[in-house]
Amino acid sequence: MDFRYISRRHWLRKSSFSLGSVAFPWLLGQDGLLAENEKTVPLKPELNPTSHDLSPKTPPENPKARAMISMYMLGGPSQIDLFDPKPELARLNGQQFQGHLKFDNAAQASREIMGPGWKFSRHGQCGMEISELLPHLGTIVDEITLIRSMRTSSNNHVPSNFALTTGKPVHGRPVLGSWLLKALGSETQDLPAYVALTDPRGLPQEGSENWSQGKLPAIYQGTVVRPTDPRIFNLNAAPHLKGIPQQAQLDFLEKFNRMHLQKHPNETELEARLASYGLAARMQEAAKEAFDISGEPAAIKAMYGIDNKRTSDYGTRCLIARRLVERGVRFVQIFCAGQNWDHHGSIKTSLPDRCGEIDQPATALIKDLKQRGLLDSTIVHWGGEMGRLPVIQFRNGLSDRNAVGRDHNTYGFSQWVAGGGFRKGYTHGLTDEFSHHAIDGVVNHYDWLATILHLFGLNHKELKFRSGPRDIRLVEESHARIVHELLS
Amino acid sequence: MQLPPQLILLFLLIILRFECLGKAQEELIYFEKEIRPIFKAACFHCHGEDNVKKGDLDLRLVRLMIEGGKSGSALHPEKADQSLLWENISTDKMPKGEKKLSTGQKEKIFKWIEQGAKTVRPEPANVEEAQYTQEELNHWAFQPLKRTKPPTEENNPIDSFIIAKLQSHGLNISEPAQRESLIRRISYDLTGLPPTPEQIENFIRGGDEAYDRLVEELLISPQYGVRWARHWLDVAGFAETEGAGLQDAKRPHAWRYRDYVINSFNANKPINQFIIEQLAGDELINGPIDKSNPKHLEFLSATGFLRMAPDTTQRNNTLADRNNAISETLKIVSRSLLGLTIGCAQCHDHKYDPISIDDYYRFRAIFDPAFPLNQWQTPNSRLIDITNQEVMAERAKIESEAKAMEDDMISRRNAHCKKIQELKLETVPEEERDATREAVLTKPENRNEKQKALLLKHPMVKPVDFIVGLLVEYDGKAFAKFKEEQKKIDAVRDKKPPLGLIRATIESKNSQPVSRIFFRGNPESPKEVVKPSEIMALKQHRKDLVVPENDEQLKTTGRRLNYAKQLTDGSHPMVARVFVNRIWMHHFGNGIVRNKGDFGIAGEKPIHQDLLDWLADDFVMHGWDLKRLHKLIVSSKTYKQSSIRRPGIEKIDPDNHLFGRSNMKRLEAESIRDSLLMVSGKLDPSIRGPSIPVTENNEGKPVLSNENGRRSIFVQVQRRLPLNILATFDQPVMTPNCNKRTNTTVATQALWFMNDNESLKMSETLATSIMAESTDLTKQLNQLFIKLFAQKPTPEELRSCMDYLRTQSERLAKQKAEKNSDHLAMASLCQALFASNRFLFVD
Repeated sequence: MDFRYISRRHWLRKSSFSLGSVAFPWLLGQDGLLAENEKTVPLKPELNPTSHDLSPKTPPENPKARAMISMYMLGGPSQIDLFDPKPELARLNGQQFQGHLKFDNAAQASREIMGPGWKFSRHGQCGMEISELLPHLGTIVDEITLIRSMRTSSNNHVPSNFALTTGKPVHGRPVLGSWLLKALGSETQDLPAYVALTDPRGLPQEGSENWSQGKLPAIYQGTVVRPTDPRIFNLNAAPHLKGIPQQAQLDFLEKFNRMHLQKHPNETELEARLASYGLAARMQEAAKEAFDISGEPAAIKAMYGIDNKRTSDYGTRCLIARRLVERGVRFVQIFCAGQNWDHHGSIKTSLPDRCGEIDQPATALIKDLKQRGLLDSTIVHWGGEMGRLPVIQFRNGLSDRNAVGRDHNTYGFSQWVAGGGFRKGYTHGLTDEFSHHAIDGVVNHYDWLATILHLFGLNHKELKFRSGPRDIRLVEESHARIVHELLS
Repeated sequence: MQLPPQLILLFLLIILRFECLGKAQEELIYFEKEIRPIFKAACFHCHGEDNVKKGDLDLRLVRLMIEGGKSGSALHPEKADQSLLWENISTDKMPKGEKKLSTGQKEKIFKWIEQGAKTVRPEPANVEEAQYTQEELNHWAFQPLKRTKPPTEENNPIDSFIIAKLQSHGLNISEPAQRESLIRRISYDLTGLPPTPEQIENFIRGGDEAYDRLVEELLISPQYGVRWARHWLDVAGFAETEGAGLQDAKRPHAWRYRDYVINSFNANKPINQFIIEQLAGDELINGPIDKSNPKHLEFLSATGFLRMAPDTTQRNNTLADRNNAISETLKIVSRSLLGLTIGCAQCHDHKYDPISIDDYYRFRAIFDPAFPLNQWQTPNSRLIDITNQEVMAERAKIESEAKAMEDDMISRRNAHCKKIQELKLETVPEEERDATREAVLTKPENRNEKQKALLLKHPMVKPVDFIVGLLVEYDGKAFAKFKEEQKKIDAVRDKKPPLGLIRATIESKNSQPVSRIFFRGNPESPKEVVKPSEIMALKQHRKDLVVPENDEQLKTTGRRLNYAKQLTDGSHPMVARVFVNRIWMHHFGNGIVRNKGDFGIAGEKPIHQDLLDWLADDFVMHGWDLKRLHKLIVSSKTYKQSSIRRPGIEKIDPDNHLFGRSNMKRLEAESIRDSLLMVSGKLDPSIRGPSIPVTENNEGKPVLSNENGRRSIFVQVQRRLPLNILATFDQPVMTPNCNKRTNTTVATQALWFMNDNESLKMSETLATSIMAESTDLTKQLNQLFIKLFAQKPTPEELRSCMDYLRTQSERLAKQKAEKNSDHLAMASLCQALFASNRFLFVD
């Protein structure tokens, strides 16, 4: 198969040869507007609308989804061992890989092919092949779309993560959740519209940048809650203030803040803070209720694995995610610690460990959303920012065959999605025989983001925000496409 | 339909030719300026760098392209259609891999070839000399400071630069800020605290001299050092834990570095000296450490700067862990002093800046003797004991006292357990009792089979040691009693004066590792040997400067000391610019150079480079005198402007690049807590000593282990457990440092003000003190507003507050009658005002 033709056609289609239509960030930096001409004033557009709010907004097109839960597996789960069976690879196990490979860690790299370490079998009516490491997922394959042809081509964690969540492999851009809030507002005025649920073992790699609004107004930022109870501190008003006195106090504060704001027009940060008190007041009751799973039936808790030490934390967070979406939260991200799917070494033990923690809870989330009729309107996403290579990485030198793993691969990796308008029981895309490059039905990060926006009734070409001299968009690539094959 | 590639190429050429003809007066494209950066990022990796020349093709010079490789000449100037280079690029055959060149880049390359593949200047004979282009080396920040004259005759040169630039855009600076705004601004800027009512009174009444007097007063306040030390500690990555993962072991002695920084700012230590001490304080001592010499202790504490990065080697001490500690340390050094991010050159040449991997390891070689990979010292083994004789004697005395108490307790406890043992033996049938007693008293390894069987048969009979260990089960009451005694003994031990230990950086002549380049950053793949040196791009105008490998004058290698002196001799292009820019940023909310202070090619070229250079030059010429710089800045009209956004200027410069107004600034986390303490009368202004520990309360909230009114800089900085209020208001986690803080606006901040115990307590304390000062409500409210906002309430505000107090008091009376509802109403007013934007922002 020759890709040059595909990419060339691709390229011709978009070549209008407008000057500077595409440029690397460093080119922008070099001859960016400020350095261009000392005499020219930085030409700035008029201000963005002076007030921003979270009131619910109707999208331009008919939406399939109204909420999204992203189970983000930073580090890069091995598609070869979980989702993308390659019998050929098993056969070639131990032999030298002949093609071109790009390593992140050349020092420990090898070309020795490592076949999948676990067995695959077919599940459900659709017959989707899933690894034995994810037995629970096997029971719901008829609900999900498995994408085997994801690609970002940014071969490290941070850039690939930002490519998938902000559209470009660079720091400082608004994430998907913030764009959704900007475009759609919030259905709840009592809870943060965008919630990040982090792992008790630590923040995800790059911390708060994962839920940062970038240059969008501050109210579109994600709210990170504590990884254990109490998820949010300070939800209880002092007994003497509780209720009416506190409301009166906040009314006074609002009046006072508005007088101050009048003297400082166009300070969006002041407005955002003013709004944050209203939300905080309502959250006192609403958040306590939403984050408290004690009232959930025992059977539900068991389904999420909350009664089992191994799955208890992730199960709890999945259950909370369902409760939040049920209450009108727009976007929930469930993170892992650091990038703990980054299995350069000890893949033999770490990968089963990670799978054991998340498989049952993630599956329960789908079943639970479905039985409540929420799945149709909620996109559920499970995936990391990359996959892994078909060859061995020797963590501790060639002699130690236990401390082995797989290096990064962002050219062809897998993730699955369910609900919110995605097809059911469908396997999409193809990688080459080594599961290295996506070769058919490629879903680039920008295609992925355009597709998500589409399901929310948004047009990726129209969704933009004026920042300084230019518009920023979640999807900057003009050739991004909505991957209709994924949709029901 | 599938077009053959040749046909596509032809179409392309036609389109492009046509376009070229259409623009007769087209600007010339030069290799060094526009083409080489594209090739550097996309092609050099396989065609030129690291001795890799695939197909024998080297793309680093135009003549080498013409020369070509295995497939013949790659470039035919003026004939793109005959150039292999263009064919491979236009058909995306090159670069290999997924990332192809963009349309815009291809277009540039095409035009460049068609124009004759021009270079700016003749190419060097030796290709290695073309490692960096003149264009890269000419980057503004790598050039010596330009000594510029202020463009006009303004009183203050800062105003001259700022006003001239604004006027060239048809703008002017804003009106002066109101005096009430100004006094809050200057007070927070210089001390991180609100002005006192006395200061406000004097300032509002006084004339222009009153402002200058106030500035003087604030600059000599010890709180000045606290404020500006906090800024530097962000850059230095000050943290009191080792970082990395759940362990996050404590660094109980790191506070000495914090105190060193505070004292240095308060003493207005010249900044060049400040930098030298931090990089090479140990080398300044040059000999044995004299514990009684305060200068020695100061120098050693200063080197804590190089010991702030995460360092996990106390626990995990592999080569990679050590290498990581060094690499993080170098990140801090380069970001803080050079305004550059050099971390990526650890593995490969920097993609944008002219910093090669060789540069990185030469730079690193300056620090290698202090951080020898193969003679590594773990954090604890690096601590330097400076405890004096008196303290040692006192510690010994207290220890013997505690030991006596402990011995006594232990002997009584053993006796008690012996009794328990005997009681248990009494439950054994008489015929076996003596034998069992003998068995339990026999050492386990000496017991015979029969004895073992007996003890298995009577499991409650155990040796005394065992009973001591399980006393809580055998006799709970006695256990509690002895535990209480142990606590008292521990309390005695806690009274020991602490050992004087310094977390310092030192080296010896014995640790002179051979410095090598690590292939792709891997310490297990050492390659060529390198000698210590400044990064080439930064010494291009001072080529004679060398960092000696081994300075014979010194007991150490002298590498760091010599380098530190070079950094601060006034000729370095970055150090003064970066430092002055940082000071400017803290006064104005944004630097002259923005982008988190990246002075490299990827950063933004400053509009006010002339001003920056003038400031930096002036700073150096006047002995790196920081307080003088503060005075220069805060006495300018530019600084004293109003922050109100004016419609005219908003249209042109909404982000305030031109400094045509002040920026509103939210108080930093520390200032919020410190201000609340101050206005509620709880602030403890003392400024030195070990940090106040942070622990989790029963809710899991990180709080101070004991209630404390010390300023927030004295709160222990744990990477994993930051004090709740500080973390809530965006105190950065040091990974490894922070060049510029970000502000968030989230509901948890609102909830903190509404419901946190600390917020409630401080509001009540403030209410009490306000109500104690006067019985007259107007006077009370005047006082409250002055404390919080530096001005009295307007009649409208007064009325509004009074209405609120009256109705709130009635509501509270209904809700709960235990406390005085007037007092609670006043407290709730104080709390609302704390939470207000007017308090949280400096305008």
